[in-house]
Amino acid sequence: MKKSQHIGSQAELEALIERYFEGMTTLEQEDALRQCLAHCPWSSETIDEAQMVMGYFAAHGAHRQRQDGRGMRQRVVGIAATIAVILAVGGYALWHQQQPGDVCIAYVNGRVVSGNDQVKALVGADLDRLNDATGAMANQLSTLGEALEIDNE
Amino acid sequence: MKRITIIILACLMATMAAMAQSGLNINRLFDGRYKKAAGATEIIVTGSQAREFGLTVYHSVSVTDKTQAEIIESLVVKDGAQAIDKEVEYRNGQLYYGFYTMPKSKRSNRYIFFLNQNLARKSPKNIVTLIYMEGGASADKIKKLIRK
Repeated sequence: MKKSQHIGSQAELEALIERYFEGMTTLEQEDALRQCLAHCPWSSETIDEAQMVMGYFAAHGAHRQRQDGRGMRQRVVGIAATIAVILAVGGYALWHQQQPGDVCIAYVNGRVVSGNDQVKALVGADLDRLNDATGAMANQLSTLGEALEIDNE
Repeated sequence: MKRITIIILACLMATMAAMAQSGLNINRLFDGRYKKAAGATEIIVTGSQAREFGLTVYHSVSVTDKTQAEIIESLVVKDGAQAIDKEVEYRNGQLYYGFYTMPKSKRSNRYIFFLNQNLARKSPKNIVTLIYMEGGASADKIKKLIRK
């Protein structure tokens, strides 16, 4: 209990918890933190999280070695890294699955057309129809332009 | 603890983004309904064949059924409202031609073309064409592809 005397307020405790997870605490501060988490009456989200993570060590904190504290942090970081890798691999697999494979097929009046050249010819016919429409639009604009020019002369 | 939470949240968000679908209304038309329909043509080109056009997906539907044409037009107009760029022409209150650049999906450019040849002034035909294109190609490249 001696070392818990260093932590005099909830704000001080929360600040120390932040520093602990950032690896900025000294051995003495870590001991004080463990003692405080085991015995201090304050409660907040940060303190509860720290108690969850450090709970085991808080109960036995006075007898633990510095190496144990490092081991716990490493374990927490390890679990987080594992979750991150699983999510990243899952996300990539999902993305990869969504990438279209090689397909070149057409259905004309319910009949399947699967030859690449035949399908491309159909694509060409699609594009030709659009070309005719865009060409007509361009002609319209050109005609309008000419009409305006004549009108302004 | 905060850092761990942030890492997990970031990974979750990345996964959710990967799961996000393109969310276009016209996707409903590509459910296979035209594959066996008389008077309809559906074309699907993806992968290496589509890459020849600078695309990853080319999907089109052409129909001669006027009731289907109305359905297609209404869905195209809905998607068109979300377009970041568009060229459209209406005739007699109906959409005649539309070229829509849609917001990117999975870093791919997306385009929708619509043409109702029933409304053409020169030799109208009973054909409505819808084309969806997706890939790295720019709008200019797509227009060049059409004008080839």
